Amino acid sequence: MGSIRFEGRDVSFTDGDTVASALFRDGVRTFSRSLKYHRRRALYCGTGDCPNCLLTVDGTPAVHACQAPCADGMEVVRPHGWPSTERDLLHVTDSLHRLMPVGFYYKTFITPRFAWEIAEKMIRRATGLGALPPTTAAERSVVRYVRADVLVVGAGAAGLDAARDAAAAGERVIVCDESPIGAAIAPGAALDRVRALEAEVRAIPEITVLDGHTAVGIYEGLEVPLVADRELVRVHPERVVVATGAAEIHPVFPGNDLPGVWLGRGAARMAGVHGVRPGDVAVVVAGTEEGLAHLETLRASGVRIAAVAVPTALADRVPEGSGEVVVDGVVHEAHGGKSLSSVVLRRGTEGKRFDCDLLVLSLGLAPRDGLARMALPGEAVELVGDAAGPDATPPNGHDGTVCLCEDVSLHDLRQAWDEGFRNAEILKRYTTTTMGPCQGAMCGRALTCFARDRNGAPAGDVAAPFAAAARTTARPPARPVTLESLAAAVHELIDKRTSLHDVHVAAGARLDRSGGWLRPFTYGDWRDEYRAVRERVSVMDVGTLGKFTIGGPDASMLVDRMFPCRTDDLAAGRTRYVLSLDEAGYVMDDGLLCAVADGTYYLTSTSGGAARADARLRDLADRMSLDVHVLDRTAQWGAINVAGPHARDLLERLSDVPIDASSVPYPGFADVTVAGVPCRAVRTGFVGELAFELHHPRSRGPELWEALVREGAAWDLRPHGLDALELLRLEKGHVYLGQDTMPDDTPAKLGMSWAVSMDKEWFVGMRALERLAELPVTRKLVGLELDGAPADVADVRGAPLLVGGAMVGRVTSAERSIALDRAIGLGWVRASDAGFPSVLDVSGHAGARARVVPTPFYDPNGERLRG
Amino acid sequence: MAIEIPCAHCGPRPYTEFRFGGELRPLDAPDAEADFARVFLPENPAGPQEERWFHALGCRTWSAVTRDTRTNGVG
Repeated sequence: MGSIRFEGRDVSFTDGDTVASALFRDGVRTFSRSLKYHRRRALYCGTGDCPNCLLTVDGTPAVHACQAPCADGMEVVRPHGWPSTERDLLHVTDSLHRLMPVGFYYKTFITPRFAWEIAEKMIRRATGLGALPPTTAAERSVVRYVRADVLVVGAGAAGLDAARDAAAAGERVIVCDESPIGAAIAPGAALDRVRALEAEVRAIPEITVLDGHTAVGIYEGLEVPLVADRELVRVHPERVVVATGAAEIHPVFPGNDLPGVWLGRGAARMAGVHGVRPGDVAVVVAGTEEGLAHLETLRASGVRIAAVAVPTALADRVPEGSGEVVVDGVVHEAHGGKSLSSVVLRRGTEGKRFDCDLLVLSLGLAPRDGLARMALPGEAVELVGDAAGPDATPPNGHDGTVCLCEDVSLHDLRQAWDEGFRNAEILKRYTTTTMGPCQGAMCGRALTCFARDRNGAPAGDVAAPFAAAARTTARPPARPVTLESLAAAVHELIDKRTSLHDVHVAAGARLDRSGGWLRPFTYGDWRDEYRAVRERVSVMDVGTLGKFTIGGPDASMLVDRMFPCRTDDLAAGRTRYVLSLDEAGYVMDDGLLCAVADGTYYLTSTSGGAARADARLRDLADRMSLDVHVLDRTAQWGAINVAGPHARDLLERLSDVPIDASSVPYPGFADVTVAGVPCRAVRTGFVGELAFELHHPRSRGPELWEALVREGAAWDLRPHGLDALELLRLEKGHVYLGQDTMPDDTPAKLGMSWAVSMDKEWFVGMRALERLAELPVTRKLVGLELDGAPADVADVRGAPLLVGGAMVGRVTSAERSIALDRAIGLGWVRASDAGFPSVLDVSGHAGARARVVPTPFYDPNGERLRG
Repeated sequence: MAIEIPCAHCGPRPYTEFRFGGELRPLDAPDAEADFARVFLPENPAGPQEERWFHALGCRTWSAVTRDTRTNGVG
C-alpha cells in the first residue's frame, strides 16, 4: 500500500501492483504515443515484451510499467507527445501518414540543404522514448563476475524446472529473470505451478536466484551479462539454458494497435491478478486452450463477453454465456477513435460487427528465442519450454501495425517491397521494423511472414541466413540497456605517479598526463627553466622512462637481434643510443643501451613505450628460445636527469668520487653514490648539455631530489618540466617518437640511418630495410626554420606545408628557439620529380614560410653535451 | 567478449589480461619477396589460427594459442 507520483498527482497502489496496474486502476488508458504518428498506445502484452507501456520511472527512461513493481513515492511520467501524452497535438501526423512514406527523412529533406537543419530539430523533439537525465547518474553501477555450471535464463515453469534438475545433478546454478518471478505469467494453473516451484528452488542452496536481472545477450566464452538496478553481473557459465518462454502472437489487422486491444495474458493478469476489469464488453479470440483459460478469467472478473472466435477443435469447449461463438472466425478489422469501439469478425467472406471496448487476442505462442539465436553453432546453449516451441504465426491481415516500436504498418512494408527491398533483412534495415526497444519480440515474425508470403516459399538453394524470409539476425542487446549499465566498472583513468609526485606538487608544478603518467609540465616559468639547463644547472624527473635489466647467458644475443645497431662492440661501462624496429622496419621506440660489467645490460625506453618494449623483448627471447631474463625495473627505479654546464660540479659536491670524463665518460655510465643514494649515472644528450641521468631505487627519490635542489642553489638551480624539454630537445633536432614520426617511418625517413648497421647478421626489421633500400626515400623528416611565423610559433604545429598550393608536408614541432632567437621546427616533406623542396609555404599562416635546414639547430657538433 | 586464453604459466585467464600478439609467423624469411609476404600478407583464416598472446597483466610470458576466428573457441 502506498502511492506513486504520476505527472504531478498521487496514485495509490495496493500490494502486488505494478506501475501499469496502478495507473490502469486509476483510469489511465493512454500509456504512450507511437513513435512517428503519435497514435495512442495502451497496455497490450502485459508481459514486458511490447513497447506500449515504456514510461520514465524515477528518471530512468523506457521502463516496462507492466513489469515494474510499485514503490512508495516513485516518480512516473509519460515522456511522449506534446504538450502531453493525453492531448498530443502531434497526432496530426497520423492523418499525414500517406505523405510520410518509408525513408521519409532521406527522401524529403535532401534539398534544399538547409531544410534538414530545421527539420531535424522538430523531428528530434517529436520522437523518442524520453529524455536522458541532464546529469550523470547519482550512483554508479558496479560489476560482478560470477561463475556457474549452469545459467538458466527465465524463471518460469520450464526455467525453474531446469534449475532444480541441474542442482539435483550436483551443478551450481544461477537462475535469472528480468522481472520478479511470476510477473509475466497469467493467473491460473500456470502461475500456481510457478509459485510452487519458486518456493522449492529458493530453498535449494546450490541455486542462486537473480530476479530483476535481465540477460541482454549471449557472448562467446560463454558469457551472459545480466543488467540490473545498480549492478551488472557478468556470468561465465559452462552452459546456458534459455527458458525465456514465449510471448503471445501479435496479429496484424487494421486497428490492431487501438487502446482496448490486448493480448490474452495481459488482459488475464489485469483481471485475475490485479483485480481490475480491462474492459466491460469483450470480444475474445481464443486460438488455443490458453485462450479459453483467459476467457474464464475475464468472465470471472465480470467482463461481459460479446463474442468468442475459436477454431473448430475448441468450439464445444466454449462455456455457456460467452456471447456469440464464431467458429473459425478471424479478426478482420478493429474500429475506434480514442479507443476500441467495435470489432469485425470474419468467417470465410462473411463478416459480422460486434460492439465492444475490449478485444482479447490469444492466438498461440511466439517463442522468445532471440537470446538463443545469438549463440554460435556448437555452443552449450539449450532452449527449453515454450522458448523451444514451434512458431505459429498466423498470416498477416490486409493492413495494420506490424512494428509497434517503430510505427511501421503493413502498408509501409508493401511500399518498401515495391521499391525493391525484397528480403526480410533489408526490409528490416530500410523500414526499421524490429529495430525498436522490443527488438522484434512482437513484430519479428510478422516481418518474416510478410517476406515469405511475397516471395513464395523460401528458396531451397539459398543458404539459410540469406533466404528472403529467414529470421533476421539476433544481436545483443536483447533488451534496452542504460548508459549506466554500459559504463559499469569503467573507472577513472589511472595515472601513474613517480616517487617525486608529492615533491612536484609542493613545488607548485603544473601536472598533466603524458604517456600514462602524471608529469610536471612547468614549475611556473618554463623559459627560466630552459635557461637553467642551458646556462646553469637543472633537474628533471625522468622516472617515467622504461627501465630494464637483461641478463642470462644469451643476453648479448637478445640485444644484438633486437636492435638495428651493432651491440657486440659495446664495452662495459659504455652506452649506445638504440632504435627499436618492428618487422616491417618501422621505428617503434628508442632508448639507451648500457653494457654492465657483469655481462648484463641495462636498457631504457621511452616513457610511453615501456610496456610494449617489455612485451617485444620477451617475444623475441621466447621465439628465439634464448636463455635470458628480462626484468622490468620501470616501477622499481626512479631517475633524475641532472643537466646543465654545472651538472658535474653539482654531482661532485654530493659524491665521494670524482665525476669526470674518465669515471663517467660520454657515452657511458657508472655506478656512483650521490647524497648517500646509490645511483647509476648515465650520460645523456637529449637536452644538448652536459647531463647525467641518476637511476636510483624508487624509495630514495625524494631525498636525492631534495639534496640536488638544495646544493644546486649555489648555481641558482631550477627544476624543469616537459614544456622546457620540448624546446631543449627541439633545438637539438631530437624527435619525439609519435609526435614527429608517423607509424610507417623507417630510420632512413627520419634521417637516422646512422643508428642502423646493415652488415649485421640479422636484427628485427632487417629484411624489410633490405627490401626498402632499393626504393627511393620519398618522404623524410627535416629541420625547418620558419620565417614570418606568428608570435606564438607553436600555433603552426600541425600546419600543412605547401609548394605551389599543393600539400607536400606538415609541421610536427615548432617553437621559438631562445638560443638562436629564431622560429624553428621539425616536419616531414615529400619529394616531387624535382627532388625534395627546400622552401615551403605554411598553410593557414599568410606570409609564413619554412626553409629546410640541417639539424641540430643548437651546438651542431655536440661539444657542450660532451663537456 | 568472454574468451579465456590458456596461459602457459597461469592457466586459463580472461583475455582482458593479455596483449594480442597476432598470427604466429616465422621470425625470418629467405628473401625479400617472401619477407614481404611474411610481414604484410597474413593468412587471416576463417577458422583455426595459430596466434600469440602476452600475459601483460599477469606473469608476462607469451603463449601460443590456437583460436578459431569464427567462434573465438581456443584450444
